Amino acid sequence: MSTNELTLTPSESPSLSNKLTISPTQTLGAVRRPVNTTGWREWLFTVDHKKLGIMYGAVAFVFFIVGGVEALFIRLQLALPDGRILSADKYNQMFTMHATTMIFLFAMPMAAAFANYFLPLQIGARDVAFPRLNALSFWLFLSGGLILNASWFLGGAADGGWFMYAPNSGPVFSPSNGVDFWILGLQIAGIASLIGSINLIVTVLNMRAPGMTLMKMPVFTWMILVVQFLLVFSLPVITVALVLLMFQRSYGATFFDVSQGADPLLWQHLFWIFGHPEVYVLILPAFGIISEVLPTFSRKPLFGYPFVVFSGASIGLVGFGVWAHHMFASGLGPVSVAVFSMATMAIAIPTGVKIFNWLLTMWGGKIWYSAAMKFAIGLVILFTIGGLSGVTHAVAPSDTQQTDTYYIVAHFHYVLFGGMVFGLFSGFYYWWPKVFGKMLDEKLGTWNFWFMVIGMNLTFGPMHILGLQGQPRRMYVWTEARAGEGFFNLGMWNMVASIGSFILAVGVLFFIINVIKTTRNPERAPIDPWDARTLEWITASPPKVHNFDRIPVVHHLDEFFHRKYEEDEATHTMKQVATGEELVRAEEAAADADIHMPGPSYWPILLAIGVGVLGMGVIYGTPIMVFGALVVLFSSYGWVLEPSVPESIDFDTPSTDGHTKEIAPLG
Amino acid sequence: MDIVNNVKASSHRIRNSIATIFGVVALAGCATNAPQDTWQPKGENAQIINNLQWIVFPMAGVVGVLVLAFAIYTFWKFTDRGQPIPSQSHGKPIVEIILTIIPALILTVVGVFTFRGIFELSNTQDTEMVINVTGQQWWWEYDYPAQSEQGITQPIISSGQLVIPVGTKVLLRETSRDVIHSYWIPALNGKKDAVPGRINLLRLQADKPGIFAGQCTEFCGLSHANMRMEAIALSKEDFAKWVANQQKAYTSPADGTLAKEGEGVFLNQCIRCHQVNGLKKADGTPAIAAPDENVYSGAAPNLTHLMSRNTFAGAKFDLLNKSCRSDVWDASPETIGQKYLAGVSESCLNATDLRAWLRNAPAMKPMYADPTKLAKSGGKYRGMPNLGLTETDIDKLVAYLLTLK
Repeated sequence: MSTNELTLTPSESPSLSNKLTISPTQTLGAVRRPVNTTGWREWLFTVDHKKLGIMYGAVAFVFFIVGGVEALFIRLQLALPDGRILSADKYNQMFTMHATTMIFLFAMPMAAAFANYFLPLQIGARDVAFPRLNALSFWLFLSGGLILNASWFLGGAADGGWFMYAPNSGPVFSPSNGVDFWILGLQIAGIASLIGSINLIVTVLNMRAPGMTLMKMPVFTWMILVVQFLLVFSLPVITVALVLLMFQRSYGATFFDVSQGADPLLWQHLFWIFGHPEVYVLILPAFGIISEVLPTFSRKPLFGYPFVVFSGASIGLVGFGVWAHHMFASGLGPVSVAVFSMATMAIAIPTGVKIFNWLLTMWGGKIWYSAAMKFAIGLVILFTIGGLSGVTHAVAPSDTQQTDTYYIVAHFHYVLFGGMVFGLFSGFYYWWPKVFGKMLDEKLGTWNFWFMVIGMNLTFGPMHILGLQGQPRRMYVWTEARAGEGFFNLGMWNMVASIGSFILAVGVLFFIINVIKTTRNPERAPIDPWDARTLEWITASPPKVHNFDRIPVVHHLDEFFHRKYEEDEATHTMKQVATGEELVRAEEAAADADIHMPGPSYWPILLAIGVGVLGMGVIYGTPIMVFGALVVLFSSYGWVLEPSVPESIDFDTPSTDGHTKEIAPLG
Repeated sequence: MDIVNNVKASSHRIRNSIATIFGVVALAGCATNAPQDTWQPKGENAQIINNLQWIVFPMAGVVGVLVLAFAIYTFWKFTDRGQPIPSQSHGKPIVEIILTIIPALILTVVGVFTFRGIFELSNTQDTEMVINVTGQQWWWEYDYPAQSEQGITQPIISSGQLVIPVGTKVLLRETSRDVIHSYWIPALNGKKDAVPGRINLLRLQADKPGIFAGQCTEFCGLSHANMRMEAIALSKEDFAKWVANQQKAYTSPADGTLAKEGEGVFLNQCIRCHQVNGLKKADGTPAIAAPDENVYSGAAPNLTHLMSRNTFAGAKFDLLNKSCRSDVWDASPETIGQKYLAGVSESCLNATDLRAWLRNAPAMKPMYADPTKLAKSGGKYRGMPNLGLTETDIDKLVAYLLTLK
């Protein structure tokens, strides 16, 4: 060992600043760490959870547009019988990539964007537990997303559906490299999510502000916590499946080759053991968002907070026991089918509890119909419709008529578009002033909302009829011979759905216009525009690098609200005792003396590039793989040897009272 | 007594009107005569499912309407009209418990019926007839093992259209030769996947003679959309006639006819994959197809009685022209058997599609049949390649195929 004794142990942390002698002037890593970055470097090398959150959001939104354009191509193709916009091959790639993009490259990272940005703020922390790992998660996700989409330009995208059932995903049946890109992109994006989930779990469990017990934690943070546990337990399963498939396709293994004795149902089980919890990974963050928005705009706390929290947790738990309801037609046998059918019905109960609690939150309230609130209400209504159609296919025999038809497409778009996407849009409008210090235009927001509601119902509503009257999914053409007769024949409903999809697209366009308009508008948002309830509002908008000038001490659920209002004992109504503005000024005046923040780093982005190159090597040959591995190795060493907290960007001199404010000394 | 009767009558009226409302709402936006409608059961198994649908859909509908009504009332009633900010109540556990128990009870009721339905549908004890159904890209093969109770004394191999006798409990034993497919005739039962390496069972029973449309519903690659099927239920007498015809010995076309020349083309080209039972080579030895040498799945449709079917190429195309086709499809249960058994005559033949198919099959239906792109499948096709036939060859072949009644 050199003179730099790495004697860090948690027990010694009070005297940390004295023992930690590593600094940029005594470089241990191969490269000096970046200090005081500005401009584009500020973004590429950042480890700030807020910057990473914004980047997650921006990239995810771009993928939302990509996935949306893919959806429009699908609807164009299906507007008329025997569509000729896309070939069969291109159509199969289109629906595969639409789902893959929307799930892995939009929904999950967009939830990660919200989680990254708001989870530390909601628990009164200055960053996540492992800031550099957080940056690595983001860059790995981007690397995975680029690999997935690169396939469009390198011989065609994956064409086996997002469920990629074996043996149709094997080298004989899908001879292009599309599936290989898909496997590698998802593996890399999966590593990103896995790292992110561990990071957020540790953050929530260890870094809550003083006084914030788990049952005083905002519901959004709770739901994100549940989601991270779902990810930790479900991602390894899909990773195993993807690795098996990778070895089959690239190295001649026979895991799913029936002629070698494989059972193709192995893939289905592995996929859905991941795939069903994944559904809750997608929806629970949106549930969390509206569980913040509904109380704020109803001026009431969430009705039955512990019930909502525990129903979220039990949805997560039971969500691991219902995977085979995706396989009711696979020939599981009546006992398995009956068990999974009952388990699926059981999961409707906690979900129903949530709906009732949201409605009862509004009951007796003082409702302000802001754009954020409109989207949140949209979620409650549309998700209810989707949930009820879900119950109709929990009835397994009924599901054997519905599965793989447009009825299922209708169902999951009501829960995922009507549910998840509306929740995310609610979050955009609610938290935009917090993130960017500017208010999104409420009028454009209303247009945005109504076009999306109408468009979404016109697109996915008719699909209930299409499915129940026998139109299967994943068909590049439909034929008039099977479309029935009368004015309301299936051709008419296909056309309505296609028109609806473009109305929906106009709705999204309104949002983009709104963002552009807001960015150009110089007017600053008020500190507390919504009379909000939780800790993220007790600081500046956008928050300073260190989030809070003083770490808040928590006494209540909805701490911020209870600092502003007290109950009038006589009338049992709330009277204001302070404004949000005053509270934020008070925090600023009592700022902590010395705050250490983690410094930027080259290694996360470099490591992610290395992993991406390594992945491409699986497709394009060993030399590329070796090069990628060397980059990974080099950046891992650089990472390990890099001190996490450089002195040069300290906000203040190190503490002298032996009480450090440093976070994440181990990076 | 009067009061009791009145209450009974009015509760009956309420129940009827709820049913009517659901009927009207459900039917208002629907197509009529959609061939794959999942709400038009035509046999016992589909009826069991339909009975369950009639429990769970109205229940979901009622719950949905109640929740929506409560939601809309809440939105209206508690709009901010300047009222004070209410007391910060966190809710009442008793309300939570009630609102948990009610859905649990509703679902228990649904669950009990579901449970019964699942086991009813899985019953195969009283099967009266067995058909082996094999999926491959992108068509279905039907193999009727010999079973004397049904008059089948030697195995029948067919494709495109599944022919079954009415009122008979038919068991399909499904499997696949390549990827997973799913067999679905909505009027007769729900779906069951055809999984390679496994045999899955699906029971069908048709109440009346008729034609029922279906479609492969597990994504199975390039031409998944074109993998269709039709089930034809015939009266027991008509079914016996169908069986007799399928078991009829092969007769070669008369010498000197165009059809006889067509037989030569067939022996030259088609026999590599397609079997015609009883066909003999010029030297008198039996002509045996070897699809396993040319096609990845190892099978191609058996064409022995091609013109007894109404479709070809995975039921994507009709062998009957439009008017003859609708003549069969629109026939009453009494006459459909006779019309179906008439097969395809020269005047009814959909020559356009058949000739186009023989001219260049991959242009008609997307398939992996480009000889230059078969490296990963060891040079084997998935689907029928372009055979490069001349127009004269096609004339001859069509004439020959018309003799395969």
